[in-house]
Amino acid sequence: MFRTKVILAAFAAMAIISGAAGAGVFDLSAISGPKASDLYMVIYRDPDSQILALQKGELDVLGDITRPVDVERLSENPDVTLSISRGFHLFFMGFNLRQEPWNDMTLRQAASMAVPSRQIVRDIFSGYSEPLSAYLPPASPYYEPDVKVWEYSPEGARKLLKDAGWKWSADGILIPPGKNAPLKPFRLLSPTAQVAPTTAEVSERIAGALKEIGIPVSVEPLDFSMMMKRLDSHDFDLFVMAWSLSRDPDSLFAFFHSSMDVRGGYNIQGLHDDSLDKVLEELRFAPDRATAENAARRSQKMLSELAPWIPVYSRYMVTAVRKGWNGVISTEKTSADNMWTLINMEPASGGRRPVMWCLSDEPRSLNPLGTGSAYDWQVLGLIYDSLIAIDPETLDDTPWLADSWKVETAGEGSGRHTRLIFNLREGIRWHDGNPFSSKDVKATLEFLKKNEIPRYFDSVRDIEKIEAPDAKTLIVTMKNISYWHLHNIGGSPVFPAHILENVKNWETWQPASEPHPSQKGLTMLVGTGPFIFREYRPGEYVHFVRNDSFRLPGRD
Amino acid sequence: MKSMPRWSFAAFLFILAAGLFGPLLFANGPQSTVAKPFAPPAWMGGEAPPPLSASLSPEQPSLSIDWKWTAPENISIRGTVLFDDSPANASLVWKTPDGKTFILGSFSGSGEWSVDIDARDVAFKTDLGVAPFQSALGLLFPSQGNIRISIEGTSPSSGSLDVTVPGGKWGLLGTDQRGRDVLSLFIAGIRVSLLVGIAATLLASLLGLSIGLASGYLGGVIDSLIMRAVDVLLSIPVLPILMVIVGIWGKGLWQLILILGLFSWMGTARTVRSLALTLRETGYVENLRSIGASPFYILYRHLLPEVLPVLLATISLGVPGAILAEAGLSFLGLSDPRVISWGRMLHEAHGFGAFTAGAWWLILPPGLGISIICLVFLDMGRAIEEMADPRLLKGGRR
Amino acid sequence: MRSYWARRAAGAVLVLLLVIAANFFLFRIMPGDAVSSIVDPRFSPEAKERMRELFGLDLPLHSQFFIYVRRMLTFDFGLSFLSQRPVWDEIRSRIPNTIALLGSALLLSSVIGTWLGVHAARKRGGFVEKLVLISGSVSFSFPSFFVQLVLLLLFAYTFPVFPLRGTVSIPMPQGTLNLVLDYIMHMVLPAGSLVLLGFGSWAIYVRNLMVKTLGKDFILLARAKGLSEERILWNHAFRSALPPVLTIFLLALPGIVSGAVITETVFSLHGVGKFLLDSILGHDYPAAGAAFYILGLLTIFSNLVADAAYSIADPRIRVGRRAER
Repeated sequence: MFRTKVILAAFAAMAIISGAAGAGVFDLSAISGPKASDLYMVIYRDPDSQILALQKGELDVLGDITRPVDVERLSENPDVTLSISRGFHLFFMGFNLRQEPWNDMTLRQAASMAVPSRQIVRDIFSGYSEPLSAYLPPASPYYEPDVKVWEYSPEGARKLLKDAGWKWSADGILIPPGKNAPLKPFRLLSPTAQVAPTTAEVSERIAGALKEIGIPVSVEPLDFSMMMKRLDSHDFDLFVMAWSLSRDPDSLFAFFHSSMDVRGGYNIQGLHDDSLDKVLEELRFAPDRATAENAARRSQKMLSELAPWIPVYSRYMVTAVRKGWNGVISTEKTSADNMWTLINMEPASGGRRPVMWCLSDEPRSLNPLGTGSAYDWQVLGLIYDSLIAIDPETLDDTPWLADSWKVETAGEGSGRHTRLIFNLREGIRWHDGNPFSSKDVKATLEFLKKNEIPRYFDSVRDIEKIEAPDAKTLIVTMKNISYWHLHNIGGSPVFPAHILENVKNWETWQPASEPHPSQKGLTMLVGTGPFIFREYRPGEYVHFVRNDSFRLPGRD
Repeated sequence: MKSMPRWSFAAFLFILAAGLFGPLLFANGPQSTVAKPFAPPAWMGGEAPPPLSASLSPEQPSLSIDWKWTAPENISIRGTVLFDDSPANASLVWKTPDGKTFILGSFSGSGEWSVDIDARDVAFKTDLGVAPFQSALGLLFPSQGNIRISIEGTSPSSGSLDVTVPGGKWGLLGTDQRGRDVLSLFIAGIRVSLLVGIAATLLASLLGLSIGLASGYLGGVIDSLIMRAVDVLLSIPVLPILMVIVGIWGKGLWQLILILGLFSWMGTARTVRSLALTLRETGYVENLRSIGASPFYILYRHLLPEVLPVLLATISLGVPGAILAEAGLSFLGLSDPRVISWGRMLHEAHGFGAFTAGAWWLILPPGLGISIICLVFLDMGRAIEEMADPRLLKGGRR
Repeated sequence: MRSYWARRAAGAVLVLLLVIAANFFLFRIMPGDAVSSIVDPRFSPEAKERMRELFGLDLPLHSQFFIYVRRMLTFDFGLSFLSQRPVWDEIRSRIPNTIALLGSALLLSSVIGTWLGVHAARKRGGFVEKLVLISGSVSFSFPSFFVQLVLLLLFAYTFPVFPLRGTVSIPMPQGTLNLVLDYIMHMVLPAGSLVLLGFGSWAIYVRNLMVKTLGKDFILLARAKGLSEERILWNHAFRSALPPVLTIFLLALPGIVSGAVITETVFSLHGVGKFLLDSILGHDYPAAGAAFYILGLLTIFSNLVADAAYSIADPRIRVGRRAER
């Protein structure tokens, strides 16, 4: 309905446009680097200063531009190239399915038809978002376009309700079938987060749209933590929320499986549907990709009928890069502010100069074991590598520290389990010169599992045993079957064994401010990544230098 | 200080009237969209187009617009038409003054054709072959002259398609990020600023009055305890505390008033107390006491009337503090997003990029509004102070 | 006199304990905790529970309270929920910027304000007095963030004289002198805006005090003695007006932290005010609690010092009468 194909074509067109400007190299084997001598991740927390700094030339790369006015302004700036991609953002309204009347599927479907997502996107985001009718972001490789779409139509919504026996009171409020009293007023909980000034507005629009068909709703703006508390104690009617998801459809299990309707779980709306549960279990414990894909598609179809949410929109990711840099990489699914760009970008004028990259919040701890903050990981992600990387164009797995891998199902009967076999690349060295080997991966996974570190808890808890028969082979045996183990283990950062063994207390470990025992200028933040960490000046910047010995896969 | 009639009283009455009756001047209320987002004021909009709307219908299957302005920000074509025949290919055709044609939509089959075109849609832009960041309007409105929009192929039997172009300039003060009239928002904001300022200060003054009177009249341990508390509370930074309390109690307007009131009574209490101390020592209160008048009677009948004018002055002088506190909290995003206040306007202007967009018409009115209202109350306060008690003039409180 | 100070000290300790208790319960009744606001589908309920254990959020309230009091008294504020670094380290790294900002602003605005105030009082109805009266009202009436944002836009972008953000240029300039100059350039707008917003209040306050003092008998006496006007102004009148000015200076110390919250937000400074805002918004109790505790200490301390300064500077005045200023 939203002309998905056309939009895809639009992004393809964009790729060509940026290609003309000297970027848009999609062949991963053509990427080399890093080419920039230094990298400064400069902390600009205020969106105004970010835009001003980019215009002044104090920033080279600015990602995640959210305000339409800035997009419009920058699109007129001859010194800046913009790129757009579909993101993994998903904004929706949820119902409390535990109580009347929201346990009525017809009402939810009618409500879905009443919300003008398309007009909301136009009016509030000037079109720089994608109206949604799906339960996965459209960029996901598992996205299923062929689902029941509740196209905007207030008349259709009314008809649906009328056919199901709903009536309207004299002042236009819905009366449930078989009852006499009209619906009591409902509250739509809406977070007043600093980060998204538009949320309040979107909530008001949704409430207004629901009122149109006779559902009395008013918005209750709440502090985010307060809202989470209300949701956790099931004290709500309706709520809006946004998720930032990953490429895996595994999130569907976390959101909609009945076992996740517990304190701290994400089945906030309280959906309990046996047949959906079954499919979601197939999804979570799929032995291979094909099964996973099949289950993901089926569950999306089921969800669109059940309508436990009203998906509203997904934000496009807009990134601005100053002209004068070649080799910027952006695709339909990956915005230009990615690691590939960082590695590949070089000044058009030749020579080497530092890249100024915007970091929109403070990296607070730079402790790779403790932190879950996205800003920390923007920094740490350049230092630490994982076994598998994500292809920016297809979002498929692509070799990184591992050359190749195999996912097997081993064992008999109820003892059947997944086994992952990774072949590691040779000749890789840690920033301090020590060679990288399978021992490092083994030590990392064992450390994470032994200490039950929250951030990695879910990834490593199903590990049965880890073997490193030789320096370039790693075998991870899991306790159960799941295709996602590959992404959990393969996507986890790898730390050097010789540093890990000296970590006394992982919670308070401050590697960024501990000098390296033997290498001058290095800290304990030692990885294998394309950039070497030099210094973090709180409130100002993080400084990296290029890792001269860094080699991309296939060019060892 | 000055003997000339105070300008501030007249200004106050004017502001009050504007706050009470101003919103009545605007038929649609401040929340309705009137023009494109960030539209400049009409008097500086230059060649920007006024708002336009027209319809395509069976009676009028083609529209001709004599375009005399620069390209607009947006155009939308929306509606449903019905065909009696089953057109093989009905299309919506756009013809520019320089003779180019664009097919904005097409239809085949039978029944009704729903059109929902908006130039902001990325899909619409790419259909016309422009990048997602560029406006397609430059193509549709390349120059001044005659623009023709028509339904070709067949003609509809009923229904209509509405063509809307939002204005590129608006009113006295332009529009905000949602295309709402800034003047209307500005006037709606007067109420909130006045309400917050006056209600919070009134509450604070009542608290300050009772505490100050009690402290001054009773004296002794109670007095020194209260004054110690006043000292501590006065020097504690209020903003962080307000931030925490707003987090706990919620961000409603009344909660805000209550919180502001509870944290700004100290100055009044101190003033009232010292006044009560002085009065207590005067002859007639002594006499009253000696003839057995109850403390309550003395407080009520004799101290209160003396204190009242001073109180009026403290209220007036306290209002700016409350208004500024509201603005500060709003700026930090700690106010009710549904209530239009000047602080909220500035917060939104900042949040939605008015500062970098140079949309001064969104920034200056609420900013200057706050300061003018504060100046008015400060000046009124001083005037009342002088009238009430010329001796206080040199006491030099602000 | 000694018993008075003993009483004052006991009072201060009592207030301190009250501050600690209020702190604890204030942040306890705040809804949610750092863990419940983690919303990430990659974090299972079990992983969140593990996190609660790590922060001690699963202990009963009273044991949490005693741990809290002990920690406050020993200045061990624990780990920040948000950064998982020691809170004290976090605060310490931010203190220099805040002191540089607020210290220079307070010093400049009080010196300029006092000087203007004294001169305004000398010539009633003169230009300086008019300037003082108008600037006092006007600077008080403008919302600080509004003035600061406009200044930032004007002087860091439209006329790019000063930097947009932070305290150092990137890459950092070489040499100590250049570093200091760079730092000063970064501080001009934030501190300057605070001076602009603050000097008027000082000037009015000092002017009013001086007007009152200049009307007193001992000034008339000094005039009768034929002392020079300049000497009367500074040596006699200003000296006797100094104690309340000092008091106000000391008492203003904790209050200006409010100014730091907004200023550091607008100019992206790495300071305590921004830290306070972030910790409150992020429900980082250990961090916000510690920041409040330090503010409380600062308040109590400046109150005590103000009392002391008052009694030393002007022994004629009975201690404790300060409240009747």
